[in-house]
Amino acid sequence: MTTSAATTTGFGAEAFQAFLATRNEPGWVSDLRRASFGLYQESLGRPLNPEEWKRVDLRAFQANRFSVGGRATTTPATRMGTLLGNHPTTCEAGFAGAVAHVDGVVVDSHLAAELTAKGVLFGDLNELLRTHGDILKPHLMTRAVKPGVDRMSAWHAAFWTGGTVLYVPRNVVIDQPLYSLIGLATPQTMDGSHTLVILEEGAQATLLEETASATTTDAGLHVGSVELLVGKRANLRYVQLQNWNQQTWHFAHQAGLVEQDGSLQWTVGGIGSRLAHIHQEVFLDGKGARGEVNGVTFATDRQTLSYYTQQTHRSPNTTSDLLYKDVLRDEARVIWRGMIRVDQAAQKTDGYQRNDSLLLSPDCRADSIPGLEIEADDVRCTHGATAGRVDADQIFYCMARGMSRYEAMHMIVEGFFHGIYDRIAVEAVRQTLSRAVEVKLGIGQ
Amino acid sequence: MSATFLKVANLSDLAEGGRLSVEVEGRAVLVFRLGGDVFAVEDVCTHDGQPLTDGELVNGEIECPRHGARFDIKTGRAMCMPAVEPVKVFPVRISGGDIEIDQASVN
Repeated sequence: MTTSAATTTGFGAEAFQAFLATRNEPGWVSDLRRASFGLYQESLGRPLNPEEWKRVDLRAFQANRFSVGGRATTTPATRMGTLLGNHPTTCEAGFAGAVAHVDGVVVDSHLAAELTAKGVLFGDLNELLRTHGDILKPHLMTRAVKPGVDRMSAWHAAFWTGGTVLYVPRNVVIDQPLYSLIGLATPQTMDGSHTLVILEEGAQATLLEETASATTTDAGLHVGSVELLVGKRANLRYVQLQNWNQQTWHFAHQAGLVEQDGSLQWTVGGIGSRLAHIHQEVFLDGKGARGEVNGVTFATDRQTLSYYTQQTHRSPNTTSDLLYKDVLRDEARVIWRGMIRVDQAAQKTDGYQRNDSLLLSPDCRADSIPGLEIEADDVRCTHGATAGRVDADQIFYCMARGMSRYEAMHMIVEGFFHGIYDRIAVEAVRQTLSRAVEVKLGIGQ
Repeated sequence: MSATFLKVANLSDLAEGGRLSVEVEGRAVLVFRLGGDVFAVEDVCTHDGQPLTDGELVNGEIECPRHGARFDIKTGRAMCMPAVEPVKVFPVRISGGDIEIDQASVN
């Protein structure tokens, strides 16, 4: 851990060259980084898209205070404060496999032997690009999240540090979930995780991913990306629980692409970070494709959680269903800007989006902006947004029956989230989110 | 919580009628010098949640550059629609040649 590059902060040309020199990766990967770095530098001369960013206050963010990770770590996965409990280090813990990264370096990776025998790949992106580059190259940043989309995607594509790959061959069904952990332990470090999931035709899998910090006080930065590529008739359930400490900045560009009759159920938990902005897209590319997005966010103190979601229907008979539920307290702010886009070819689209916000304090703020852009003429697209404070009568009713104010609040918040828990098929995720909510309310451990 | 005044700028950097953007405890704060005194407000419009930084200062009121809401820089009070909630104000003082803000009030 004594490389001189480790002390180069920021993301300028010098830092990029120093970072590149530490990488042991195929030439085409380095070329992709160089091209992306050029795009990133160009993008710095242009303002961020105001439609997406104008409500996100970045004035206190200073990228130059951080240095890119991915070099070395001495922190084991078990030191991370995870929501799902201890990091599963063996396949006996209810998961078919697990991968963990700390400061952009893989610290654990295992997969059940019978899945390896079936051709499943699950592990660290850096290693799998060296050993199975032929399988990954056609998919990496070419279909779902392309480097040139915006500043964040270019920044990530130049400086990505590692990440989890799941590749499931044709008609292979994985019954048990897989687990991925992204951790930050060293102060002022940038994690650039790239999650790449490829399900071939007819494949099925569930991946639970979690982000966590080793301390509550160290500043961190995540510039990440998620690509979920769901083949024909394939079925993917993907969960990402963002649980950084409240000193961490989280920027992510995430996209799912669903082919004919494929199905993607995507659940997002937004609990941690100082400020998070997630650009989340679902592309319904094949006839009959289905995408469901569930969002559970709970922001407290002075957290800002921002979501820019797009459901893009590109083929006929496609279905999308998005539901985000936000709870806010103190001076927290949640921003949700959602869009359903329907291409001319996407007749018989069924699109839905909804955002509900529950405000627990007078100083919190929720901005909900749903939108539709429809070019086809035979579709059903609906959207809605609600925001409201906790009803004082409900609290009084509960307290009159012997509950404390905390218990009453907990019951109301749980009830608010219940509509979304019911949609999440994975029991461990329901329990984990419920526990995280208790901790946020100050009544759990 | 007791007041903890800490320097945020030199008084010489702020001309009469002028303003400075500073960051205090991760919060964007706008400091004004008017009539020989200094004032500090949170640099966020309570109507649309975006910065007041470049708004006009008229008769001791800062006007939001987007929708025209106005706030009294001494009290924070919302003076006209579309804002209805006051903007936060922070205790600020001149000490020697320094402008100091009460950090405890910002937290």
